[in-house]
Amino acid sequence: MTYEPSAPSSRVEIELNRYLAEQRMTRRDLLARIAEIGAVAALAPIVAACQASTSPSAAPSVNAATPSAAASTAPTPQPTPQPTPESDLFVYNWDGYIAPDTVAKFQKKYNVKVKYDKFPDADTQMTKIRSDSKGGGYDVTYPASTEISGLAKDGVLLQLDQSLIPNLKNLAPDFTNPDYDPGNKYSVPNYWWTTGFAWDPARVPGDLSSWTALWDASHKGHLGMLDDQREVFAVAGFRLGLSPNTTSEADLDQMLALLKQQKPLVRKYTEDDIGDMTSGQLWISHAWSGDWYQMIADKPKIKYVVPPEGAVRGNDTLVILSGAKHPIAAHLWLNFNLDAEVSAANTNAIGYMGPNAAAQSLIDPAIVNDVRLNPPAAVREKLVELLFLAPADLDKYTSRWNELRA
Amino acid sequence: MATTAAPAGAGTTSPVAAVAEYRRPLIDRIAGLALILPGVLWLAIFFLLPLAIILVVSLGSRDAAGHLTLAQPNLNNYIEATRPAYLPAFANSLRYSAITTLLSLAIGYPIAYWISRYGGRRKVLLLILVMLPFWTSYLIRTYAWMIILRDNGVLNSGLQAVGLIDEPIALLNTDFSVILGMTYGFLPFAILPMYVSIDRLDQHLVEAARDLYASGSRAFLHVTLPITMPGIVAAALLTFIPAIGDYVTPDLLGGAQTTTIAKIIQVLFTSGRNWPYGSALGFLLMVVTLAGTLVALRTLRREVLA
Repeated sequence: MTYEPSAPSSRVEIELNRYLAEQRMTRRDLLARIAEIGAVAALAPIVAACQASTSPSAAPSVNAATPSAAASTAPTPQPTPQPTPESDLFVYNWDGYIAPDTVAKFQKKYNVKVKYDKFPDADTQMTKIRSDSKGGGYDVTYPASTEISGLAKDGVLLQLDQSLIPNLKNLAPDFTNPDYDPGNKYSVPNYWWTTGFAWDPARVPGDLSSWTALWDASHKGHLGMLDDQREVFAVAGFRLGLSPNTTSEADLDQMLALLKQQKPLVRKYTEDDIGDMTSGQLWISHAWSGDWYQMIADKPKIKYVVPPEGAVRGNDTLVILSGAKHPIAAHLWLNFNLDAEVSAANTNAIGYMGPNAAAQSLIDPAIVNDVRLNPPAAVREKLVELLFLAPADLDKYTSRWNELRA
Repeated sequence: MATTAAPAGAGTTSPVAAVAEYRRPLIDRIAGLALILPGVLWLAIFFLLPLAIILVVSLGSRDAAGHLTLAQPNLNNYIEATRPAYLPAFANSLRYSAITTLLSLAIGYPIAYWISRYGGRRKVLLLILVMLPFWTSYLIRTYAWMIILRDNGVLNSGLQAVGLIDEPIALLNTDFSVILGMTYGFLPFAILPMYVSIDRLDQHLVEAARDLYASGSRAFLHVTLPITMPGIVAAALLTFIPAIGDYVTPDLLGGAQTTTIAKIIQVLFTSGRNWPYGSALGFLLMVVTLAGTLVALRTLRREVLA
């Protein structure tokens, strides 16, 4: 994919303005229309106008897909439309969550200026992008997969124009039709991970694998659980053979009883599993696989396991917000991050596996061959995704979580 | 306030009657209103309005999609908020703020007394030193406590180095660390009002007590302490009320066994996505705090401040 800054960009601009004037639309109306019917449909008249008014000598590189162009080149695959990106892009992401040079590479390739804001935790992220119900001024953000259905229902997300994201073809089969967003209509997967537990063998000897280690009284005062209600109840669920997405009050009562037995041993429901494990505050802790990878940068001996009883598989996503002022640049950002090289570079930087089949051969062997970061198929079968819960069902978890915490 | 000429004929009436008859001119009354207006506006916009919003939200509920709806206002959230399951967290909040208040008074009073009586020309400098911690963000200072208190932190390493302990003592994530952090944080708020009232104390009264053969401690107990009691009460309120809702300190320095009611409310607003319920619990906490404070003040006024 190349960026062509010369004639087409100004022509698109001229045609865009003419179209808007003819239709008595503002740019905002056009964006609203993009949100409703997708970028290609909304922009088709403009692209067609560009095509029609382009003299063969002026800009032969304009090759946007129009019905006539598609018809005339029937045997070859339909060329990807390449509308010109806007000059800016506002991205809202975790700190240190992509390779350090990803933004610079994108800016260079597409001549788009990226403004990159960071959020400290997912609650802040959600509060901000929901503040005006259309993204709080950002174009792209990275929500957890569990948020997608709720965000889409509330109109916070722009339905993706998949023709602008040809790199979707790179996705591994597990990720092309996820439960949380069938057909990746609103989101593309970004990283995936497991939630297991980590321990410091200097303090906790032995080869642990079962979740029961987190109920072992000898770890009293040095045991950590994540400060995340769904994840904590999921662990109790795996021990009891109950679904971590259960909405049955009886199931949840059993889980709560088991967690209440564990609580006297727990030092902290931690928001910082990395810091608490590396500082020695915790000896054994419920932890995310990618966080473990960051722990071993400090303390290489720390171990991690995905317990055989089952574990949570999580993934986060890239989405475009419905209020995006730069939807085309945003699509390009999504596509860019699904590029095999970019995806591999991101994984190499932070240790979270990407969903990108094409990137596998480019990932550092120390990551891709580590069964803890990239579990084999037999383990993957036992992984469960946490699903979005309706408010009344989420309340069943929240009230019990608060009861446990109080 | 501008001095105004005495009303005509004031010379003939007694001074007391003149004061009783005196009415401020219109311009003064307008000026008075203008002076109080910013304060009233501030309170209305930043206190009463948010409070009203919380109250309204707390009477609402959520529709199937999780959005706030006020279609059928009701008190269900308040009924839910009184669940006995939350009592341990509420008890923790009360306990931490009570101990923090007592410690702040006990540590703060001698400091305030010393600065006022023995500060001499350095009084201002000493007061600036009391407030010096405010120059750094509270969050950073709390993280500093984490570094000092954790198992391999400054304190434990030091104690191990001098051979006082073999294994680290669990200091962080305990009642101890929460109370330490809160007392550290609220101490300046306790010192300042006590300083003001000690500094205003007429030293002649203490001298008079000594002249009447009161011992130093009797003079303190029967003269200094009662006269400076308003400062102590102000210090207690300025410590206790914010302490009971403190979220940051228990969250960062506390652990699994130190959950406060503020954390419960935070969970309801964030991962629980239940703003109406969180608002109800928050509002209830405020009402309980306010009622408790008023009762305490009334009792004190009758018995101590009278």
